[in-house]
Amino acid sequence: MNTLRTISVAEFIKLVNETLRLIPSQEFVVEGEISDFRIAQDKWISFDLKDEKEESVLKCFMTTWQLRAQIEDGMRVQVRGTPKVYERYGQFKMNVQEVEPVGEGALKRAYELLKKKLEQEGLFDFSRKRSLPRFPKRIGLITSRDAAAYGDFLQILNNRWGGVSVFHLNVHVQGREAVSDILEAFFYFNEMSDDERPEVLVLTRGGGGLEDLHAFNDETVARAVFGSKIPVVCGVGHERDESLCDFVADVRASTPSNAAERVVPNREEVRYEIEMMCQHVEEHLRDQIGQRSMVVERATNVIWRVISQQNERLKHLRQRFFDVTHVWAPALFDQIEGFEKILRQLDPKRVLARGYGIVTTNGQVLKDVSLLEIGASVGVQLAKGSFESYVTKKENN
Amino acid sequence: MNLMSQKKKIIDFASSFEELEKITQWFDSTENVDVEVGLKKFERGLELASELKKKLSEVENKVEDIKKKFT
Repeated sequence: MNTLRTISVAEFIKLVNETLRLIPSQEFVVEGEISDFRIAQDKWISFDLKDEKEESVLKCFMTTWQLRAQIEDGMRVQVRGTPKVYERYGQFKMNVQEVEPVGEGALKRAYELLKKKLEQEGLFDFSRKRSLPRFPKRIGLITSRDAAAYGDFLQILNNRWGGVSVFHLNVHVQGREAVSDILEAFFYFNEMSDDERPEVLVLTRGGGGLEDLHAFNDETVARAVFGSKIPVVCGVGHERDESLCDFVADVRASTPSNAAERVVPNREEVRYEIEMMCQHVEEHLRDQIGQRSMVVERATNVIWRVISQQNERLKHLRQRFFDVTHVWAPALFDQIEGFEKILRQLDPKRVLARGYGIVTTNGQVLKDVSLLEIGASVGVQLAKGSFESYVTKKENN
Repeated sequence: MNLMSQKKKIIDFASSFEELEKITQWFDSTENVDVEVGLKKFERGLELASELKKKLSEVENKVEDIKKKFT
């Protein structure tokens, strides 16, 4: 007994921890079901990992920054980390570095939880969706060159439109490096200078299960899409597939080919649109010119009508004038005849015809004998002929 | 160099298209079109349309691989 060494509790725990470090923890993942999941002060996460069949419990500890997936009680997960005995509480715990849901059920649940969280935060809000330029000149393509998505996208792009510069950043779209590759790609494009930066980013890959799509459902990638200065089109897999990036992206395309369709217009449609616009403008102009000539025609018609109306009126007046002549003309003739009669009676020649004469002196009709001198000559006008005589005697009356 | 000229060309497409759209809008929104002005705009529209159609027949897209590898 006295040959035994005495050590302190702390020393013993240290010894245990050193021994635990000999376990090649990096070579294992421990799989179990989560229970008693707790978060303290928004930082410290603790949960129990249990086997369903045997009653074994592994206490786990980690920080919120290490947690990449949404987990909850009852979820089946794989945990990677190092075991440790905590001096203070004498508790054996696993220091977790990574936890990942396993099996479609758990992945689906984790996906749903994260989707709900991001949705509540407003990452999916339609109000923040930006519109894409109609005729982009520069497109940033984030995908794997080896994926079918790459070829599909470019083929449809070429079929539809020309003159675009595509900047391709080759990334892993699945596997361990996928998340960091995609994050770096977003960072790279967003850091480009204003005149170099693409006007739209396309993040795309083919379809797959939740396991394959993990990078497109990763919270950090979803946030990178959300934070991108450049509008993002996300096209993942087939019609029915969805990913969190789809919901965050400004435009959600159903497939890589559809992403190309969303990014560039169809040249035939644009050609048709141009033709329609020209036609529309031409029709408008024709209409206007047609309306103008109608105005001129109408004005001409109006003038002609006015002139012919005046003509008619004049004719009418003349007709009326002649029509009423028979009413007033005879009376006028009678009147004129009356005047003529009077005038005829006043005619001096008629007086002369009755035997009177007109005596003139110096061209003046003589009415007063006192104007005459004895011996002066006077002219006498008779009805027929005239003669000249001298005054021999005069008598004032 | 090639990039710059390509960029310029495409900018022209977008702005030419926009100009054509504006001309169409002008005809739609102007009550009594001045025929003189209208004719000028119509001629400009035809000119733009023919430029645009010429550009539409260019089919080539350019793919540039970004070699930069991050740390």
